[in-house]
Amino acid sequence: MTRKKILGSHVKRLLSGVSDHGRRHLTEVETDLIQTNLLLEEAIEKLSRNFMAIHETVSAQQTAIDALLAGATPSAEQKEQLSALSDQVGMYVNAAVTSMQFQDMTSQLIDRTLKRVTGLREFLGTLGAHGAEMVPESDNDEIVELLGKVSMALAIQSLELRSVLRKAVSQKHLESGDIELF
Amino acid sequence: MAKTILAVDDSSSLRQMVAFSLKAAGYQVVEAVDGQDGLEKAKGQTVDLVLTDQNMPRMDGLQLIKHLRELPSYQKVPILMLTTESSDEMKAKGRAAGANGWLVKPFDPQRLIEVVKKVIG
Repeated sequence: MTRKKILGSHVKRLLSGVSDHGRRHLTEVETDLIQTNLLLEEAIEKLSRNFMAIHETVSAQQTAIDALLAGATPSAEQKEQLSALSDQVGMYVNAAVTSMQFQDMTSQLIDRTLKRVTGLREFLGTLGAHGAEMVPESDNDEIVELLGKVSMALAIQSLELRSVLRKAVSQKHLESGDIELF
Repeated sequence: MAKTILAVDDSSSLRQMVAFSLKAAGYQVVEAVDGQDGLEKAKGQTVDLVLTDQNMPRMDGLQLIKHLRELPSYQKVPILMLTTESSDEMKAKGRAAGANGWLVKPFDPQRLIEVVKKVIG
């Protein structure tokens, strides 16, 4: 291979590597942010709904209690309804507890996104630092050597970044998860 | 006397929800902020059940389980994972480390209480 071709090959590999690395990670950032948004939207919607339901149920309970305090004698049907209200509140509270766990999941997704953004910034920093080492008077061999070092440094950083970015949160909805006893 | 559960999770809101749910069912709950804290608290007192997250700083759930199973007093104590992880690979690792069950987040309080009752009464 001629010197020109070797240089061209290194430049091509470096540009392609930077582009692939950047695109892959930014696609994952986009995916994680969309997932975070879905979980947040669902959490807020469910919490709002359960809050209103709890409020209505507690108001109904209070109305019944006020009537009892005023000396009214509840009918069998009213006694049954009053008893059921307590179960209803419990049900809405349980649903709210499930929804409130959105903070744990979205926090993990955001942490992953931040690590990725930091990793990308460091990656571009390495690129810039090596670029600064290059002097305009460098001959082809020196440039080839430098590009080789840059490619190697970026490949190592890319692997290191991937190793800290395991996806632990696959949930896209706040329905309660599976339970398995071994 | 009320049974005691050690709840290990680096998310304070998650620990709050677990404690709220289990205390309402009559259990005592001791909270730990990560695996290291969980191990120290487990050594400091006897608990009837350990409920642990997986991904935590300092010491993760699998490491905590392995350390607990090395303690004579924790050979038979039930340990359940409560985690966002749901892959078969992770469940197999949990089982191999000594976990007795795997609960995927988010949990439903009623189902959590049912599982805990099934495991420790």
